[in-house]
Amino acid sequence: MSVQTSSVVTAPPFLEKGRRRWFDGDRIFQGLASGAAIAIFVIAAIFLVALIIPAWPSVTRFGLSFLVNREWNPVNSHFGALPFLYGTVVVSLIAMVIAFPIGLGAALVLAQPTRYGFIRAPLSFGVELLAGIPSVVIGLWALFILVPVMRQVVEPFLAHTLGFLPFFQGTPSGASFLTAGVVLAIMVLPILVALSRDVIIAVPAELREASVALGATKAETIWQVVLPYARVGITGAVLLALGRAIGETIAVTMVIGNRPEITASLFSPGYTLPSVLANEFAEAVGPLYQGALLELGLVLVLITIAVNVLARLLIWSFRRTEPVAT
Amino acid sequence: MTKRFLAIPIAAAFLLAACGGGATGVSPTATGATFPAPPAATLTGAGATFPYPFYSAAFYAFNQKWNQVKVNYQSIGSGGGIKALTQKTVDFGASDVPLNPKETTDIGGADAVVQIPVILGTESLAYNLDGIQTGALKLTPDLIAGIFLGTIKKWNDPALVAKNSGLNLPNSAITPVHRSDGSGTTYIFTDYLSTVSADWKAKVGKGKSVSWPAVGQGAKGNEGVATTVKQTPGAIGYVELAYVMQTQMSQASLQNADGIFVIPSPEGATAAAKSRTTVTPTDFSIVNAPGKDSAPITGYSWAMMYKDQPDKDKGTALTDLFYWLISDEGQQYGVDLHYAKLPADIVKANIATLKTVSFQGKGLLALPT
Repeated sequence: MSVQTSSVVTAPPFLEKGRRRWFDGDRIFQGLASGAAIAIFVIAAIFLVALIIPAWPSVTRFGLSFLVNREWNPVNSHFGALPFLYGTVVVSLIAMVIAFPIGLGAALVLAQPTRYGFIRAPLSFGVELLAGIPSVVIGLWALFILVPVMRQVVEPFLAHTLGFLPFFQGTPSGASFLTAGVVLAIMVLPILVALSRDVIIAVPAELREASVALGATKAETIWQVVLPYARVGITGAVLLALGRAIGETIAVTMVIGNRPEITASLFSPGYTLPSVLANEFAEAVGPLYQGALLELGLVLVLITIAVNVLARLLIWSFRRTEPVAT
Repeated sequence: MTKRFLAIPIAAAFLLAACGGGATGVSPTATGATFPAPPAATLTGAGATFPYPFYSAAFYAFNQKWNQVKVNYQSIGSGGGIKALTQKTVDFGASDVPLNPKETTDIGGADAVVQIPVILGTESLAYNLDGIQTGALKLTPDLIAGIFLGTIKKWNDPALVAKNSGLNLPNSAITPVHRSDGSGTTYIFTDYLSTVSADWKAKVGKGKSVSWPAVGQGAKGNEGVATTVKQTPGAIGYVELAYVMQTQMSQASLQNADGIFVIPSPEGATAAAKSRTTVTPTDFSIVNAPGKDSAPITGYSWAMMYKDQPDKDKGTALTDLFYWLISDEGQQYGVDLHYAKLPADIVKANIATLKTVSFQGKGLLALPT
């Protein structure tokens, strides 16, 4: 008598075809995960609707001229977003220009084999500490310490050495685009460093070693092998940092001088979209004034979307010319 | 260095003062109003930030006297307070400016609410000039308008020197500092400038938020302006008197409507308020008031509640609270914090107004025996 062993695996009774019950683990999990994804979408949609509906009186009243009007006058209800758009863009750009080289350099030191490896532990700790400081505390520090230093030391120095550039002309004012840019750079540095470091660590060692074996110097390896490999991730890091810089409210409000101004001089006070929202919303009365402020919020959201789209395009172009991974 | 860091305790000083007056030594006294104890109630209010230190100290004291009444006030700004009262999510609102026509319609018409001035405040012009003592700098209305319009750009401008011949005014730029957030303080200041300068009225106007001429900087809150002025040599800004007194900043002597230079003080505020025996929610400006002691940049802060109260106990507690607040005992908490007392005429008018607050047609205010 031979025992017949079937080579076919039979499903447990409750999963037999024709007897499929609702408590199918796979289906439930798929449902939950899809639900979570849709929920995120729904939340974003609710945000947009909650912005658009109260902003509608302002949108219909000013139309597209809202984006190019320079006047913000609550007394006679003329509202325009241009000075705030300008301020947000300028301050974020300054922040990225300052933070990107420093952040990338720090990430390289943290991720690469280096003679100065002893610096890694304190550097890591320092970065994490910086990340943990609340924005209002950084804002207060900047107000009491950074602003006088900028007004008395840094801005006159820049005016003296680089004064031929229109950016560094004009009377040094402690509260200015430049100071706000420096504060933002300090705030986005931890994000840049942490994310870039992770991406650079992920570059395969074989690539680095192959490059060195072919006679490349350390610098050439980094510039021509490591960074191109990691550029997609670094773009993502820059994008996240930029998102933080664009939206930062309290620290910027304290040091930017709150004057809606469009000028090339970085020493002049300025105004950003989140700052004007934070400053004026509590006392804004009337659907047009409130609508105009919420329309500014809408513009801010649109800028963030635009930056995201730009980054997607950049990443897409990178992927097309990506170095072939082993 | 020290001057700059003196600015750090500003917020701390105000927190302390607001926490029931620990820093200023106020203790609730048992003498004073003898009206029947209010019924148990929890009252909520929201609105202006300017009277917040006063409300905080006074409400705490009220609760110490009558434990059964708890009052919770959130200083979210005048606009927020009015919105909250319109939506009936709070029992009373507070605002530095009474309801404008649109807000009045939204809330149900001028007869639906009762608005009373509860405290008086005056503003100073604080400046940062080395070697120039407080009160030494004399400013006429034209000079102030010129500085904030940007037509007077330097401290040694001939117009300034003419009025301050004894002073050594430096050849440096003036940095006017204004409020970047909408506030009743700005309203009172711009109301004053609109009254004394036709140029200002035409170019800027008055409001809680205005489009400031492109000079100087904006800072958030009275404390922001005070800090900025303290830190920036050559800066001048308008702040509530309380901030100047608490941080010992230098303030200017202002020329009032009678032509006399006064240093803003609570007494000056009361003198200015005495110039009008009645104020109404539509006609309430007391800036540039006549009187030899009057402080020119002065204004009331208002509280508002529904005339027809939905709940008897809450309504009674509410009217009792505000009756006590405008009485000598309640006003003392404001005086200790450098606000000014309401003049007697206004208090009388307020009591008459409070008497109209009713529940189902019956007046709620039980007057002291």
